[in-house]
Parts: sequence; C-alpha cells; structure tokens
Amino acid sequence: MAVTLHHFLVVGAALFALGLVGFLSRRNLIVMFLCAEMMLQGWRSTSSPSPAVPRQPARAGVRAVRHHRRRLRGGVRGALILMLYKRQGSLDVSLWQDLREADLDRTEDEEPLPPPPPAEQYPHLSPCRPGARPPRRREEPCLKPSMESSG
Amino acid sequence: MRNLAQLMQGLAGEWPLLLPLLVGGLAVWLLLPRPRPYPWYLGALAGGLSLFLAATLILRTSGVSPEVVLFYAFSGLALVGAGMLVTQHNPARAALSFTLVVLSTCGLFLLLGAPFLMAATIIVYAGAIIVTFLFVLMLAQQAGLSDADARSREPALATFTGFLLLATMLYVLKGYQRPGTVEELLGRTEAALALGSRDEMLPVVEPRQTDEERARNDRRLFKQAESVLNAAGLRDLARSAREAGEEWVVVELNAEAPADEKAKQSRQALEKLQRLLADHRERISERLTEARLPGVDDAEGRRLPAMSSLSGPPPTTPFREVRRDAAGRPELPAENSASLGRALFTEYLLPVEIGGTLLLIATVGAIAIAQRREPGRPA
Repeated sequence: MAVTLHHFLVVGAALFALGLVGFLSRRNLIVMFLCAEMMLQGWRSTSSPSPAVPRQPARAGVRAVRHHRRRLRGGVRGALILMLYKRQGSLDVSLWQDLREADLDRTEDEEPLPPPPPAEQYPHLSPCRPGARPPRRREEPCLKPSMESSG
Repeated sequence: MRNLAQLMQGLAGEWPLLLPLLVGGLAVWLLLPRPRPYPWYLGALAGGLSLFLAATLILRTSGVSPEVVLFYAFSGLALVGAGMLVTQHNPARAALSFTLVVLSTCGLFLLLGAPFLMAATIIVYAGAIIVTFLFVLMLAQQAGLSDADARSREPALATFTGFLLLATMLYVLKGYQRPGTVEELLGRTEAALALGSRDEMLPVVEPRQTDEERARNDRRLFKQAESVLNAAGLRDLARSAREAGEEWVVVELNAEAPADEKAKQSRQALEKLQRLLADHRERISERLTEARLPGVDDAEGRRLPAMSSLSGPPPTTPFREVRRDAAGRPELPAENSASLGRALFTEYLLPVEIGGTLLLIATVGAIAIAQRREPGRPA
C-alpha cells in the first residue's frame, strides 16, 4: 500500500513517546523543555496537516494564531528557565525536590560521578634575562625548560 | 488466572507490534546518561535494529515511489534525532538533535501537503526557539560534567512508561487501520490500474512485450481487480453508504470472458470504483469539515468578494471547487500560502493583531523575569 495517514500517525506517536521518556528521565532543565517541545512536535505533525480532512483555506487564520502562541511559549519558557537557574545556581532539576509531595522520599544520588580528567600540564619555560644573546655554544641555552611535574 | 493467560496470548499475538518497541526501549535505556555509561555502540545497534524492525513490521509499504522513499528517509531521521535528543548528555548537542527532528518533521509536513506549515515551523522552531534555547544555555553555563547532565532519574521506569504508552497508541491506531478504509482501497485500486494493459500502451508506444508477458499482465490485472472488488471492506462500505442514502453500483467481473475482455472489464470496473471511492471520501470529508467549521460564509450566507485570482481562492471557496489533482487531494499550492495570507488579512485580522499584542506583552514580561539584578536586592 502507499503511504497512508496511519504511517504518519505512527511516526507522530513515536516522537511523542520518546519526548515523554526524555521528559521523565533527564535532569537538565533545558533538555527537559526540549523534550516537551518534541512531544508537541510529534502531536502537531499528525493533527495540523491532516489529509483525511483536506485543508480548508479558511482554517488558515486559526493556524496563524497558533503560530503566535508557539512563539510566546518558547520565549516565556526561556525566561522561566533563566529565573529557575538564578535561584539555584544550577540547571539540575533535582535541586527542586522540596516541591515534591509530602509522602515521597528524597531521591539521593548513590553512584558518585567519575572524577574529572586531570588538567593538562604544560612545561614552564623561564623567560630570558634582559640583554641575553643567543647561545654560541650548546652549553649555554637561553631557555631552560624545566618539567616541574610529570604531565 | 484465565484472564492472565488470555492477556499473554493477546500480547503474543501482537508480536509484530511489540518486538520493535522492546528493542527500541532497550536501545533508549542503554543510551540514557549514567555516571558509568554502557558503551554507545550497544545502544546504537539496538536502535538501528529497532528502526529496521519498525519499518518492516509496523510501517509496511509496498512499491518504491518517491513518496515512499522520502517518507522512510524523513521519519527515520526524525526518530534517530529524537533518540539522540533524549540520550545526549551534552545539552548543546541535544538542542542540535532537536533541530534535526524539526527539519525531518517539516519534511513530513511537506509530504502531507502543508507547505506553509513546513516553512512556518522551520522559521519558528528550528530558527527562533532553538536559538532561544542556545542563548539560555550560554547564560546558564555548567562547567564540566555535572549532576544535571550525567545522570538520569529512573531510566528504567521512564523508558518503560514511555514505550508502554507508545504500544497502547500503536495498538489503537492499528485498530483504525483495518482494511476497508477508503484510503487503502483507493491505494490498491491505483496500484491495480498502474499495471497497464495492452490497449492503452499501443497508441503511445510500441510495447516490446511478448505475448506471454501481455497475457501475464492481463491476468495480473484481473486478479488485482478481483481482489479489490471482492474486498470485505468494500462490501461494508457499500452497505454503510446505502444506509446513509448514497447510491453504490455493484460491479461484477465475468470470469468466463476471453482474456482481452477480462482486462478491459477489469480496467473499467476499477476506474468506476475509483470514482465512487473518491466521491465517497469527498462527501465524508465535506460533512466533517462543515460540521467543524461554523461560520464559513458571512452573516447573510454570501461569499466574500473574490479579489484577483493571483492571491488564491477566497477562504470561503466551497469544498468542491478547490483545485485538485488526479488523486483527489488539493493541489500543492502556491495557493496555500496565498489563500492563507488572504485569510489572515481579511477574516482573521483581529486575532492576528491581538496575538501580536500578546507577544509584545510576553516579551516585556520575559525581559522583566530574566533581568540581572544587583546582589542584595530581592529577586
């Protein structure tokens, strides 16, 4: 069979469900909101253009108002994230656990994060003395590289 | 206990639906960020396998046409981008995966015949909203690996919930996909008609077909026609149409006619069926749109005056007069954007202006919320 409405509905449902998985499991506020946007995208990809009901030109105005609302949502969401970040100093949503219901326990992170990779060590080069000349012989190098720590 | 056994049997019967979802759920669970993550290729392999299984088991299509190829490409990209968005631990990369999802979804919009929606979505989403998120990311910097990025809350439960919901939705959708829908019958009629028969090809091009090939094509056409005209769904459709007061003509194929006659009969029967189905679909959609669109005409029931034809049909054009292509779909228009613009500036002027004012107020509010305050002042 050719590509029917059912195929598009399946893809929209898959996008919605994946957005739900991301919204429930991620802890970064920004990624959570991106997943919510993807849920919206999956829903809209099936509801807005629907070949079962061929588009009427008259519905165009309704769609235009919806575009306005979408832009509103994006802007206000960004402001909200910034405000939440300013309060806590981090984008981690687990820091807002005090908003949970009274009978639930706090979720603690049991597994520690891996230690960050050690910062790169570069060799320290002492600067030349003023008035120094390039060495004529190998025994008097101007620059004395000293490896103070193993890199 | 018997209910449980019935449930398991029912689940086992739905294995084409559940297998890609199981593998996909495993892929997402493997890829979700953890302090000590699993190797990424495991999840990627499982994800690729689940996409392949979904394409063959759930989203089956027959035949290779540009539409099918494009559909698979766009939906595959969309699902890959969605998986990446959910599982990337770097939020900037997640934002870019979201852009990929939006662009692929806009390709799907275009396949559905909504060019304005595609363009507007790309501008608004992939343009403005992604940039907004990236700016917010810049302003809310996280240095290095942090709790927010490297961990997930309850990955197993979240994956299970999401994919359980997806399984439910797909099961319900499958129930609506049962043969007997007008679209599927139309598709099969088109496929049957595309086989071609001797009579049509001769005036156009000299067919280099041998007699056997011609006979085989004619037989195939007859078989296809038989399978379409005798489809159970068609009889139900005819019955329901007759109950609704529409006229449906019963078409019969004579199995004893000579081969030529068979092919011609099949072709005529299929064309008649195609017209009937297209009419029926139009009438259903007409009733649906009329029910959902109050007030298409103005108060006295007059049509709004038509401006020049360059700006597309007026928004109150009756359903039947919108230009359609051979398959009965409204033609992909420049007219779509033109008529949209016309509607925006004539019928929907007030909502557009109110929307603009709301946007302005929201912008002011957003600036007020996000403003940097001096230390010591209450936030």
